[in-house]
Amino acid sequence: MSMFGILDISAAGMDVQQARLEAAAANLANAQTTGQAGAVYQPLTVVVHSVLGKGAGATDNLSADSLPRPAVTGTAELDVPPRLVYDPGHPDADARGFVSMPGVDPIASMLDLISISRSYEANLRAFDVTRTLMQRTLDMSNHR
Amino acid sequence: MSSIVSQPVFGVLSQALDVAALKQAVHTANIANAGVPGYHRLDVSFDAQMQRASDEMTAADGSESWPSGGGPRVVRAADETVRLDKEMALMAKDAARYQTLLSAFEHTVGLMQMAIKEGREG
Repeated sequence: MSMFGILDISAAGMDVQQARLEAAAANLANAQTTGQAGAVYQPLTVVVHSVLGKGAGATDNLSADSLPRPAVTGTAELDVPPRLVYDPGHPDADARGFVSMPGVDPIASMLDLISISRSYEANLRAFDVTRTLMQRTLDMSNHR
Repeated sequence: MSSIVSQPVFGVLSQALDVAALKQAVHTANIANAGVPGYHRLDVSFDAQMQRASDEMTAADGSESWPSGGGPRVVRAADETVRLDKEMALMAKDAARYQTLLSAFEHTVGLMQMAIKEGREG
């Protein structure tokens, strides 16, 4: 069993949080964009699955190299209706004077950002602990 | 004849280190997969494994293989969902345990070296 494999798991975790951050940032950045009816930006979400590492057999006999790690399997558009804002002078306004904007929920997006940040920190901490343990193991052979 | 380097304590310590390293891997996996739909929290039964190993060590001839059940096993934990704060605390505890085992290993080697040098310093 290799301790390097443990670092890969933390790296996979950080990759996933990075992808979630990109989606959340894109949603917030595009929240105020407009479009002709039906053609507005659709908020994005990333689909994350746990996949077993290489050489994995039965679930009850996993090693550091085969433990499940998260992976982004795709990006999906959230099926939310556009937000209608009354702004008759706007070039994208429809016949009744409403402008379509993406149905981004700013509060939910901010909460997502907090959760992403915490998860990333946790993965980084796990990475750091593994690194410290590896370093101490190596030091042991130097001291004597 | 039993040699100084084949003392059972080395076998027990290195197996304990293996289990502790696997525990670190499992905590890492739990933290990385926290919040992923369908993920079931994993665990390693450290104490049970060590008890079985140490029983075999003391009972038999000091052989250094795992008991018949095989090596340490990754099992599904009783609590299904990962709680990040709890997982971090458990990881810190098991990292301390790993470092304690390393210290024990170092001290054992130190004693051997003292014996080799007939108690002289340096």
